[in-house]
Amino acid sequence: MRTMQPCVTIGSYTWAQDRLPYDEFTLRLEPLHAAMDRNRWPAVLVYGDVREHVALAYLSNFIPRVRWGMALLPRSGDARLLCAMSTRDLPAMRTLTWIADVRSGMGPEWEKSFDPWFEPLKTERAVELGTIDFDIMAPVLHQSVLHSLGDRFVLQRANDGVTVPPQRKRPRELTMMRASCKLLQSAAQALTDSWHHNGSPETAALDAERLARSLGAQDVRTLISLDGGRTLVPFQGLFEKKAGPLVGYLAVKVMGYWADMFITLDEGNSLALRKTEAALDALIAAARPGARTGDLYAKAIEALTALPLHPVLSASVGHSIGLSLNQQPELRAGDKSELAEDGVYTLQTGVADVQARNALLSAIVRCTAKGAEVLARSPSPTR
Amino acid sequence: MNVQVAVGKNVRLIEAGKYLQAGGLDGLIAVSNGLNNFLESNAVYVLSNVRPIGESAVVLDRDGRSTLIVTPAWDGERAASISSTDRTIGTDDLATVLKDVADKYRLDVARSISIGLSLLGQALATGIGVRLGALPKPADELARDLARVRTAEELKAAEHATWIAERGYERVLEFARPGLREYELAAELYCFTKKLGAEDNFLLMSASQHNLAVRAAGERVLDVGDIILSEITPCYRGQFSQICRTTVIGEPRPLLREKFAILQEAMSAGLEAGRAGATVADLTHAINGVIAKAGYGDYCRPPYMRVRGHGLGITSDRPGDIVERNERVLESGMVFVMHPNQYIPESGYLMCGEPVVVTDEGCRALSAQMAQLDVIAV
Repeated sequence: MRTMQPCVTIGSYTWAQDRLPYDEFTLRLEPLHAAMDRNRWPAVLVYGDVREHVALAYLSNFIPRVRWGMALLPRSGDARLLCAMSTRDLPAMRTLTWIADVRSGMGPEWEKSFDPWFEPLKTERAVELGTIDFDIMAPVLHQSVLHSLGDRFVLQRANDGVTVPPQRKRPRELTMMRASCKLLQSAAQALTDSWHHNGSPETAALDAERLARSLGAQDVRTLISLDGGRTLVPFQGLFEKKAGPLVGYLAVKVMGYWADMFITLDEGNSLALRKTEAALDALIAAARPGARTGDLYAKAIEALTALPLHPVLSASVGHSIGLSLNQQPELRAGDKSELAEDGVYTLQTGVADVQARNALLSAIVRCTAKGAEVLARSPSPTR
Repeated sequence: MNVQVAVGKNVRLIEAGKYLQAGGLDGLIAVSNGLNNFLESNAVYVLSNVRPIGESAVVLDRDGRSTLIVTPAWDGERAASISSTDRTIGTDDLATVLKDVADKYRLDVARSISIGLSLLGQALATGIGVRLGALPKPADELARDLARVRTAEELKAAEHATWIAERGYERVLEFARPGLREYELAAELYCFTKKLGAEDNFLLMSASQHNLAVRAAGERVLDVGDIILSEITPCYRGQFSQICRTTVIGEPRPLLREKFAILQEAMSAGLEAGRAGATVADLTHAINGVIAKAGYGDYCRPPYMRVRGHGLGITSDRPGDIVERNERVLESGMVFVMHPNQYIPESGYLMCGEPVVVTDEGCRALSAQMAQLDVIAV
């Protein structure tokens, strides 16, 4: 789900070595090392920015608070991490990652930090290097990379050959997801209580955000409807009271891992709400390893019985979730991707219709051979 | 795709149109990556009044016709209700719709200019180039130049953002106490300023008995003797404002007051030197001069400080960083934050900063209460 990007992420991002110890990252790097061996890449460059940093965070634990970060990961030797921060800020940046060598990549620091690291990798012939997530890198930075590497190195897109991170969550990732879902459920309850108490959608969203942040959420995103669920908007600061139903979206990030949820609070038991609940139940029942994403989409649409899917879902009924709020694969019409065992997915359904009214609901599930384990689900729409 | 028509234009859009006509240009394509950097100008916001969720663009032609294109598609209705452009389109395919609008306006890409394309993701920037057949010539400074002096309405918004920042800091003084974690204090401040209407906040807040710099809040538990550094930067109607504050839990050592006074004196010198017609370099010299006179000239460089202030987005980050190499001339009505924040070996990093507006007589602080060394009694 796309939400308004804040100018800085304010939560605590310090590398929690008790939860994500160094050996966890050693194991995460193994598939990448295998890809490096297959392709004879002596190093891979992994990019992420403040909005999307899924591979960078998975491999380094580094999440840029502003601008961007880039991990230079060698097959052998010491990794280096560049961030778009002043040298003044480096001591704080070093607490966010297992990579000891963290340097500034800003302005005049770029050439000092980036160029020398590649010296030992040079050979007589041009050397191929793998890149991950360079598609989202700004052209101005990409030009700096190319200029620094010159004709001694050739960049190859590694995203096609190795999936970072894999759909299947590692055990420690599942622990993080459970923590994130637990905090999300508490925040959703705060939103519900606030709405029933004061009838202001924005106050309810802010009360949920305050609770989540005070419990250690690194980031919180909210969208709220001011028109009974027909549209969702980011925070506007108006705090007006509105008649129900309340329809909103809440996402929290804990230890790097996102959990999100649609919430509909509607005492009227509308047709939209009944069909949305039925569609969500159908999705949960069908979510198991090997299930095709397109088939799940079809089941949800069938359960909506010709009512239109809510536009904020952008023609999707969910996707993988974890280090990104928008992780692949998505559950779209005709998509042939398969759900993975121990994959974690946010399943989302909803209706916007003049007669049937509006509703949006969701659940986060872990896929197991026995079926879906529900980690979080929208609170009951009625009191 | 969802197309909506609006009425009314903003002054920047009109000025941009005049710029095209004066230069014999065919059109302007201004884009935003949606990342909302508080140190940058967001050209889409400047030309449309809309803070976009995702990647977005404003297309303006030689006759002054304008279209805002936003992603995701479902955000089109909100954007249309705010936008000052003629039309607003919500889409999930920015490159294709951009091409459609350029065709509708019959833009000659070779005679058009762009803002911000180099800050989009490569894949999208390349996609736009392929659809348009070429990329318009970059004019990346245009939006920040057009908006470099705040309008009366923008100044009012900046003053209100400052008011929010000051109320937020008062909340810090009430709420901070030994036993609280940094992130809990930051959470309270962040949500408190949102409750007052702040749509965003570049908030750094950290504590130490000897700070090396300010950083984002962590898990440290506050205790007596901690020096809390706060960089509180709420945004109100597109105007970021920033105050920098230093707070001690428990009675500070006299030495701390003595060193903080150096920063206050540097601030006074900066305010006086920052009159319209002076350069940013003049202003920076005035600040650094005070700190050098106190014996810390060798510390007037990173990592002991970063800059002596900076412009504030998201309309225009002019006059840029307050550094000695910046020769930009200050103009009446420019707004920026002036902060002689400094690491001093005996005290650690201290913060003292105010948002200011340039006048003919010097810089005027927008804050009602200038920074002082505040104490939380225990």
